[in-house]
Amino acid sequence: MAFSRLPGDVISRIFSLTTPRDACRVSSVSTAFRSIADSDQVWLQFLPPDHCDGVVLPPISPKKSLYLHLCDHPIPVGGNRNMSLSLDKKSGKKCFMLGARDLTIAWGDDRNYWEWIATPESRFNEVAQLQYVWWFHIIGRIETSMLSSGTNYAAYLVFRFEGHQEGFDWPVESHVCIGSEELDEGRSVTLDPREGEPRAVRERAHGWMEIELGEFRNENGDDGTLVCSLREVVSYKSGLVVEGIELRPQEMH
Amino acid sequence: MATSRKVTLLSSDGESFEVEQSVAVESITIKDSIEEGSAGNPIPVPKVNSKILAKVIEYCKKHVESAKAEDRVDDEDLVAWDADFVKVDQATLFDLIRAANFLNIKSLLDLTCQTVADMIKGKTPEEKRKTFTIRNDFTPEEEEEVRRENQWAFE
Repeated sequence: MAFSRLPGDVISRIFSLTTPRDACRVSSVSTAFRSIADSDQVWLQFLPPDHCDGVVLPPISPKKSLYLHLCDHPIPVGGNRNMSLSLDKKSGKKCFMLGARDLTIAWGDDRNYWEWIATPESRFNEVAQLQYVWWFHIIGRIETSMLSSGTNYAAYLVFRFEGHQEGFDWPVESHVCIGSEELDEGRSVTLDPREGEPRAVRERAHGWMEIELGEFRNENGDDGTLVCSLREVVSYKSGLVVEGIELRPQEMH
Repeated sequence: MATSRKVTLLSSDGESFEVEQSVAVESITIKDSIEEGSAGNPIPVPKVNSKILAKVIEYCKKHVESAKAEDRVDDEDLVAWDADFVKVDQATLFDLIRAANFLNIKSLLDLTCQTVADMIKGKTPEEKRKTFTIRNDFTPEEEEEVRRENQWAFE
């Protein structure tokens, strides 16, 4: 009883301190709670700040609908639109994808090695298609200040194969760390494991696949630049198409 | 060392509390009325009874002390103290929220609101109704509609 008799803006504040999922659940408690739980005052707190860090939110109303839209429709970030932002539905935490054009790809500017093509299956204007290369080294960087605080993130390479595929049945070294790859132990990932070998690759929408490169916990967003990389500079490789590197919040246990 | 000024606060049920001014002005409401010169002496605090006012004063004292202590109280210790402070029955918790809101003590309001938010998290609507004794005033059709709208939150 005492709860319902609190002033409306205090109840709003309490709801906005839970999670988007809890705010939706609490709307089925009573009619009064529903109207507060669905209010812009609450959902504004779950949205990333508008016109900040290159994020311009679409003009959708009410705020709850805008929130739900952002969960399923990544929006471009920054002037050159090579990065996208979406939200994890249950928690509201930010999910970023660095498009291929936003990555540092060794020999990426040399058309003998990498081509840039437009494809309707990508949210970005261009994806990077590998012709062939020995020196395979891709780096993605994002400021930890852009990530949601108090969140465990995992980085994924988003890719597929096309044309003559070679060399990716060998492991590639991946790193997800602050500052410099040299300081991190990293792990081995195999994008195209042979039959019978363990397969860490997952399918995604629109014909893409993903593989986890590593994890990182973002506490306060003040650790500087997060670096995500893949590297394999010994064997001949071809046939890979890279859409980008995605940073996704992990479910807390 | 200048002698610190004291003010007297009067609860809604007529009890007086003498406190350092530095503690009293943790409440923006009281701070404003002192600065405007409109505060009487004692300063009446309507809507807040003695039991709650005593607790609010205890909170403010602790926070003022820990901010200026020579050997700064560990942040972790203060967090632990705060966690203990809000281990009270529901009625007291809501009274504290009301008082913090009326007296405009941001950190206490944040603390108490977060405590209630933590009680809400993860519960089903039925559990929430039980925990807070709230009456379900939806018609069956309305309830079905709300559930459907928020289907994903129940999966």
